[in-house]
Amino acid sequence: MNRIKSNIAIIFIVTISLFSLFSSCKEKSMEGMIVFTQVSGDLPDANYTSGNSWRYFSNSRIVALNHEKPEESLKVLTNGYFSACSPQISYDGKSMIFTAQKEQNDVWQIWEMDLENLKVKQVTFSNENCVDPAYLPGERMVFSKFTTNNTVKKGYSLFTCNLDGSNINQITFNPHTYFASTVLHDGRVLTISSQLYPNQRDGMFMILRPDGTKAELFYKSLKGSEINSRGWETTNGKVVFIESDSNNTSGSNIISVKYNRPLHSSVNLTSTIKGDFHSIYPMKDDRFLVSYRSSNDDRFSLYEFDSENKTLGQTIFKDKNYNAIEAIVVKKQKRPKKLPSAVNMDVKTGLLLCQDINFSNTHLQGNTNSKAVSLEVVGIDSSLGIVDVEKDGSFYLKVEADMPFRIQTIDINGNIVNGPGSWIYLRPNERRGCVGCHENNEQVPNNVQPLSVRKDPILIPVNRKKVKNKKISVD
Amino acid sequence: MKASKLLIIFGVIVVFGLVIFYPGRQLAREHVNYMTAVDDHPLECTSCHLYMSNNKFISKIINEDYYSPFNLAVSNNGNLLYVIAQDANELLVVNSEKGQVISKIDVGIYPHSVILNKDETIAYVSNQWSDNVSVIDLTTLSVIETLKTGNGPSGLALSANEKHLYTVNTFGSDLSVIDLETKEERKRLITGNNPTGIALSPDGKSLYVTSRRPNHASYGEPLISDMTEVNDKTQRVTKHTGIESAYLMENVAFTPSGDLAMMTLIRPKNLIPAIQVESGWMMNHGIGIIEQNGEGRVIQLLLDEPNNYYSDPFDIVITPDGKKAFVSSSGVDYISVIDIDAIRVLMAESSPEMLESFSNNLGISSRYVLERISTGANPKGLALSPNGKLLYVAEQLEDKIGVINTESLEAIGSIDLGGPKRITVARSGRRLFNSAGHTFQNQYACYTCHPDNHEDGLVYNMEGKNMGRNVTNTQSLREIGDTSPFKWNGKNQTVYKQDGMRFSTFLTRTEPYSHKDLDALVSYIVTGIKYPPNLMYNPNGELTESQLRGKLVFERTVDNLGNVIPENNRCITCHPPPYYTNLKMADVGTLAKSDDSILFDTPHLNDIYASSPYLHDGRAKTLEDIWTKYNDDDKHGRANDMTKIQLNDLVEYLKSLRGPIYNQKNLTNNNTPPYKHN
Repeated sequence: MNRIKSNIAIIFIVTISLFSLFSSCKEKSMEGMIVFTQVSGDLPDANYTSGNSWRYFSNSRIVALNHEKPEESLKVLTNGYFSACSPQISYDGKSMIFTAQKEQNDVWQIWEMDLENLKVKQVTFSNENCVDPAYLPGERMVFSKFTTNNTVKKGYSLFTCNLDGSNINQITFNPHTYFASTVLHDGRVLTISSQLYPNQRDGMFMILRPDGTKAELFYKSLKGSEINSRGWETTNGKVVFIESDSNNTSGSNIISVKYNRPLHSSVNLTSTIKGDFHSIYPMKDDRFLVSYRSSNDDRFSLYEFDSENKTLGQTIFKDKNYNAIEAIVVKKQKRPKKLPSAVNMDVKTGLLLCQDINFSNTHLQGNTNSKAVSLEVVGIDSSLGIVDVEKDGSFYLKVEADMPFRIQTIDINGNIVNGPGSWIYLRPNERRGCVGCHENNEQVPNNVQPLSVRKDPILIPVNRKKVKNKKISVD
Repeated sequence: MKASKLLIIFGVIVVFGLVIFYPGRQLAREHVNYMTAVDDHPLECTSCHLYMSNNKFISKIINEDYYSPFNLAVSNNGNLLYVIAQDANELLVVNSEKGQVISKIDVGIYPHSVILNKDETIAYVSNQWSDNVSVIDLTTLSVIETLKTGNGPSGLALSANEKHLYTVNTFGSDLSVIDLETKEERKRLITGNNPTGIALSPDGKSLYVTSRRPNHASYGEPLISDMTEVNDKTQRVTKHTGIESAYLMENVAFTPSGDLAMMTLIRPKNLIPAIQVESGWMMNHGIGIIEQNGEGRVIQLLLDEPNNYYSDPFDIVITPDGKKAFVSSSGVDYISVIDIDAIRVLMAESSPEMLESFSNNLGISSRYVLERISTGANPKGLALSPNGKLLYVAEQLEDKIGVINTESLEAIGSIDLGGPKRITVARSGRRLFNSAGHTFQNQYACYTCHPDNHEDGLVYNMEGKNMGRNVTNTQSLREIGDTSPFKWNGKNQTVYKQDGMRFSTFLTRTEPYSHKDLDALVSYIVTGIKYPPNLMYNPNGELTESQLRGKLVFERTVDNLGNVIPENNRCITCHPPPYYTNLKMADVGTLAKSDDSILFDTPHLNDIYASSPYLHDGRAKTLEDIWTKYNDDDKHGRANDMTKIQLNDLVEYLKSLRGPIYNQKNLTNNNTPPYKHN
């Protein structure tokens, strides 16, 4: 009997000890800590095309700071990596994804860290750089991967995959380069997109569904300005980001736009603050975590920013040897909506409908352009066909999926009226509609049945009866 | 008992339980998968077998009696609110300062609107499901009279001299003019289709009556809804103004100076293939403005923004100084505050082409929307205090009256009407039904295409394999629980599937409903949506002579030439009571060139008189058209041998068809309703 009692006591003690051990481990959760990238020395000039020293930094590291306990030392999270940057926190606040190189000349890959036990697993195993990851709802992520082919040319396309690295899907197919993605509350991906071909253009914020469909312009800087950071959505309906201005010698500024009307609601929050901002992250309400330096001689440091009063607040972290950038807070966040996908990879085409090619932004201003009667669909290096539009100016096309094309409108004499416009691509089974050509982005369609949908769609390329099977190679 | 025996019995019970549990669980899984069209819905029997039960005893336990405030009026001194409690069939008298209900007055069934006379001695309440108006003495707070109206009275207005009461008859699509001395209806004026709102101009000369459904047009023709103008003195219709590309004009108000009339409206995009929600491709929401002076221009402006929509605008009120208008957007729980002077400037400086373009511009609202104020669930009727400083909002699915300071443009509180605190599953479902929150960018709610849980009278080109094909007529949701399958092509065996994954992929275009939300929505659709009584054509179950003859035609088995009609060509075969559908698929010769070759799910015919247009693509404007224009080959029932009188009688009979519960109880319009709303 005594033996039984002592056994019970031992079991009880062991159980309590184990419980305490696990409890104490849980108390070491990083909730509330600030995670950021440190880059030593001077920051090299950012290359907004290749992303070098802008989206990925050689010899960088990711650290965590408990700013409520400044006596605690900085915790380096990415020991064992030559370079690590671009941290993003999962919606439950328990994991972090980032991009890193194990060794100096390694390809950049994406990794995920469990913030409770700091264990890391590699997500991508690509032959090309994978950078700028962002969590998607449903245990997936979106990231930029360097791609070279005849249609994308050489640039970073957007891909999605499961968090275990499986089910990789390319979702952008135009000759643009894509960086700095975030996911908005409505479930769409906000990303900086720059045209590469036929000529390079400044980056703009594009927004698209996680399956690559319905890509559209979200925000475009004025000429001479450039978007430099991810765009973050706040809880009060704004999107904030950093924008440089070549006319402004004092450096980059914090810009805020309203989610509801991003194209026409831009506000410069830091026009009165001299210095340079590198990145921004919403903390709560009108308070932000920013990376800032007062002059080029300084290192970027972390500060609080009050957007209501437009003032820099307390210094959170400063180190004379390191730049502190890309700061984020480890916290639970409201998960964005998980958007359903209408993409069907068994379907090789998408459908495009336009109400009236002669409806444009300028038509109300007494535009004297001649009337377009047809359109040419232009591919990367060849014409894909010329199509007559209907009497009401509408057209309805069935286009090979995942193939970039542009459209230019043509008058009765064969002269180009408008275009070629921006690159478009349609995902398999996608249906897309537009009001006109270069129409005001805020214009909705008239409630009129387009004549073109009373007939079958016109197949593009027009010289092919059948679209050949495509094979998409994935890592 | 010996331990061994106990052990054996226990073992047998366990084995028995396991035998039942595992295959039983498998069966349950298959059953739930079939009913919900997903494979991961929790195995909770209560989801369907409790919350979708129509059993009276169960309904009594799981449901509550809510007030559901719909419209309201304010006393001249601002101290009292008169609130229509639509689901309670009551008029509540509320002390606005103390925030308390001080009296409840029983009125007719499903009351709609309340107005007060100038000296505040009388209140008039329209009872939409009783076809009458309750006249209430505000001194004794009791009903002293009941005035008969046309079918489905809703909006009310007194003539300038207060000698006549105008009642808008929504179901009858007309306007009753009631002499308040004789208490008799002296005139019935034709309005637009399904009218509701009415307002008297400040100079007392004319009234505007809004309509909710558009004038009938074949698919592809322009959509036009009617704004009827009536001269108060002559009590004659002076004008029908076509409001293009708009419908669901719920209410109208005049500016105090009388220079503008403003109404709420929706601009649907039903003629465009429903291929996306982005960029306003499904529904836009806004206001219409009719100039009262000068050119009498009609313009439309949106309340929406490029990435956010303010669905289902319901009521509009204008401050006494004429500077601000308030619009309740029921689908998103917001009040939009409009700067009327900014609109006047916009109208003055813009060319007709620019104004036309603005009606389709999502960014223009930034020029005149001052503020958006959040409210409780489903804000409907609005009323301003006499000095214009307070705005009262009937928060229908909150059982509260919201109070807003019109100067600071902030919500300052709410008045709890004392309804149940518990939000039942069906009530949650009703909130979801009326909320645009489950559509991408809040662009529309279920209610938008199914106002009053019915249908909007429009034909849509829903997304399919190709655009421009398979256009379909919106179907009513009234009492559909027992009428599966659903959709015109009959592909959805349950309401669950109808509102499940495909619904979110191709219609709402956002995250599907959670299991809990879908349970609630389905519960509401299946149990909470009831037919109104058919007071126009069958008020008490006694068919007229014509209807009785029509019933014989409907049930006939031999044609006029003495030939036996094949069973599958008789009306009664495919349309047997109580829902007048055999729930089977059929080919009735109505396939159009733009249709894929399919059979159609036989629709139910209850209250069919209120569901024009007809057939799957809405091509038949009237019931008569079904057989006179579109049944050459007699595939839709043997009809070509009928005489005109027979056809007329058949149509009269069809119009008499009403909800099954009315046939069971043979109710008159004076009885209390057979059910409560959720």
